[in-house]
Parts: sequence; structure tokens; C-alpha cells
Amino acid sequence: MSTSPLYPLWLRAWHWYNAALFLALMVSGVSMHYAGTDWLLGFNQAVAIHNVSGTLLALGWIAFVLANLKSDNGRHYLPRPRGLVRDLWVQARYYAYGIFRDEPHPFHAGPAAKFNVLQQLSYLGAMYLLMPLLILSGLGFLLSPLLPETLLGISTLWLVAMTHVLTSYLLVLFLLVHVYIITIGDSLTANLRAMLTGEHGTSDDTQETDRHAS
Amino acid sequence: MTHHCSRPRPTRWLAGALLALVTSLLAPVASAVETARDHECLRCHAMSTLAYREPDSGEIRSLALDPQRLDHSVHAELACSDCHARGYGRYPHRAKLADEQLGCVECHADDPADATYRLDRIAEEFAASVHASSDHHKLRQFDCHSCHDPHAFRASQVGDDLGAIVRRDNQTCLDCHHRVTDPLRGSHAWLPQRDAHWAAVRCIDCHTPTTPQASHQILAAADSSKRCVACHSRDSRLREGLYRYRLAQDRAEHGWLTSLVRNDAYIVGMSRSPLLDALSLAILALVALVIALHGYGRYRLARRRKENDR
Repeated sequence: MSTSPLYPLWLRAWHWYNAALFLALMVSGVSMHYAGTDWLLGFNQAVAIHNVSGTLLALGWIAFVLANLKSDNGRHYLPRPRGLVRDLWVQARYYAYGIFRDEPHPFHAGPAAKFNVLQQLSYLGAMYLLMPLLILSGLGFLLSPLLPETLLGISTLWLVAMTHVLTSYLLVLFLLVHVYIITIGDSLTANLRAMLTGEHGTSDDTQETDRHAS
Repeated sequence: MTHHCSRPRPTRWLAGALLALVTSLLAPVASAVETARDHECLRCHAMSTLAYREPDSGEIRSLALDPQRLDHSVHAELACSDCHARGYGRYPHRAKLADEQLGCVECHADDPADATYRLDRIAEEFAASVHASSDHHKLRQFDCHSCHDPHAFRASQVGDDLGAIVRRDNQTCLDCHHRVTDPLRGSHAWLPQRDAHWAAVRCIDCHTPTTPQASHQILAAADSSKRCVACHSRDSRLREGLYRYRLAQDRAEHGWLTSLVRNDAYIVGMSRSPLLDALSLAILALVALVIALHGYGRYRLARRRKENDR
């Protein structure tokens, strides 16, 4: 298989920008949530890191949405409605069963489609549902003195906080699964290398494809 | 009672004396239930312009009371004369009465209802406070009443709105320390979300040492707490002070489960939903376990494949 520029440089830069901010936000966020625990960051330090990283992440997200509107990158996140259930079943069955039976991967990433349907749905949920909620609730924290005291009889800040905590837990879950799923490529590190170098399809890849074919 | 008119004079005199005795016995009862609005003294002292000029300094001293605040104060049901007992029969009152020393502890020490406030410690705490140890000229006549206006003071009640408690409490400090709120002064600039803090916690929450009861040892700016985790942690000092009553009251009123959701002030690090945390961590752990097992399965497969290749 020839090398194809699956991930352009801007996308790779954006990806690692997010990755670094995610780590900073997780460490500082946990340090605030479980403040007072000795081995975590100091509270003031955590607040400063979290505020700066959060703002940068929000800007990155806005750039992502704009880039997807301008380019055709956005289409990779939209699953085909036709045969969605079947595609989902095939992909889920592969991860849960087929992979252990040495079955060939039902999906092969290429310039036409970068993500399988499970990836599409999880990225769609993470980027267009969880991220906006996370950013809005984070903004709510930053502008908390301007918030109304209660919303539908419940403290607004409490709602903001619970939304923020819940979405961040879900995004950590996303990250956990993401970091593992990328090892299920043509080789263990193929996807990681693709995100670093932009190249997808290596000698490992051809070997595995051969094996699958055999 | 016409038949009594024919009685001899001594009997009439006796009846008059008896009436006077009964009236004098009833008088204290009558004054005890007198409300602030009925105070005779307020005929003058409710006038907002009532004041006098200090002969030495020339300063104008207000003698006015706000009847409405008095009515809502903790002392609303007392008669003026319960505290200002003697020498007020002359008008204008004698100047030396202005110097009369009225302590709080003298009355409150004996009241079992006040036992939780540990009044015996107040003198000691106050003596160590910056209000007593500083030689600032404005602190020369500093006493209990400088902060606790006996004609307006109101103890916070269980059920009071937390924001209102904070506002009222902080106003006591801001009456003198109004320059703190000057946006050009940076004394609190280090504090993230300064205005949110000012609306949600009392000055004394940082400016007194941590004690189970509110302390009267007001600390100097340099000694005041800048330790965020004093409040922003599971064992936040706010739980002991400001939030002590509220949490219990919330649970009693709305039940334990509702109080998890209805917590009407969120403090980062202090307010956590144990349910949400436990559930989320359990799910994360479960997913990590599934991933580990999945990875192990793939590892076994890879090894088997390698052996087959050999």
C-alpha cells in the first residue's frame, strides 16, 4: 500500500495541541476537584493552569469547528445513515470477537474515510456534544459572578459544576478508550505514527494486510 | 360602685395604695413586651438628624436609631431601660451618659442559650485581635459595639439565605474598611474570582484563625489566610462555620438525596457529588479493566501467531 497523507500537518498539530492541553487540564482539574490531597498540584497553581489551558482548548475547538466548516474534513465525522446499524454491529463484533479470531479488520482507513463508524460516533459525541458542554460550563465557572443565582429552582453554579464534572469524566473515558483503540491499527503503533508523521500505511501495514489476505 | 362613695377616707386611701402597688408590679411585665416601635425614647432617637457635636474634637455624633433595624434586631423585645437604666429622666441627657460602658458578655454570659458561643473566650480573642493590638488612632475607642451595633445586630438564623448572611456580615467590616472594595486597591487582587469570593464567604472566614466557633481574633492582613485549600478541600473550614447549619437544615428539609443536588453554593474542592464521583470512577475502572483484558487477549493471539509462524 502506498503512503497517503491521511493527516495533514495542521490536523496533526491541532491533535497534539489538544492532547497536551487535555493532560494539563486533567492533572489540574483533578488537583482542584480533590484539592487538599498532598501529591496533587497546589490549588492556586492548578487554578492558573486550568484557566489558561481551558481557554486554549476552547479556542482550539472553535478553530476545529471553523476548519471543518471550511474544509471537507468534517465529513469524516458523519456516519452514513444507510446501513448504520449493520456497520455498527460489524465493527463492534470485530472488536469484541473477530479480533481474537484473527479476522481481517472490517474497516481500512484511507483518505476517503478515516474513521470507522464507532470512531465516527464517538468523535461526533466528544467533539460536538461533550466539548461544547465542557466549554460552556467552563466559561460559566469563569464568569460565575455574572450568572443568575438559580435556574429552575436549582443553583446555577451547581448545575454548571455538575455539567463540567460529568462531561470531563466522560471525556477522560473517551481519552482512555481512544488511547487503547489506536493500538488496533495495522500494527500496534501504526496509528500513533500516522498522527506523528502524517503517513498512513507502512511496511508493517503491508505485512499485516498480507497476513489477513492469506 | 356608688355604695363605696360613702366609705370613710382612710379606706379610699388604702384602695388607692393597693392600685398603685398592683400597677407597679405589672409595670416590668408591660415593658418586657413593649416592641421597639413603642419605645418612648424613639420619639426623639428615631429622628435621623438627631446628633450632637463633640465639644473636644468638634466631630458630629449621631444619636439616631433606625427603628426598623431595631425592630428586627436581636434586642427588639428589650426595653431601652433594660440597658440604659439610670439618669435618662433629664432632657437633654447628661453628657457623661455618653461614656457609659455597656458590655455584651455581662448580659449574655448567664444565658444558657448563648453557651455555644463560648463568650468567656471573647475577651481573650479580642485582646489578641488586630483591633485591640493596633495603635491606629481610629481604634482608640474600639469596643464590642464598634462592630455589633446593639440597636441593629441580628444573629444569623438557621434558614437564612446564605448570601444574605454573607452580605450582612461583611457589611459590618466594610462599614469601616470600605476602601477594600476600591477597584484600584490591590489588597485582594491575588484572589481568583474576587467578587465571587466576596459574595460567597465572610471576611472573617479568612481573617480569623480556624476555630470551631467564629473567633473574635481578627487577624492583621499579613497574618490572614491565603491558603486556598483551607476552604477548597473536603474538610473545608466553611463546613464548620458558614455551612454548618445549612447542610443539616437542607438534609432535614429536603432529604439526604435531594441535598446532594440542591446544594445551593458550589465550592470547588469542597462540594462534590459523592454519587457522581463514585459512579464515574467505577465506570472508568471497569473500562480500564475491559481494556486490559482485551489487550491481554490480543497479546495471547499475537504469541500464538508467532508460534505458528515458526
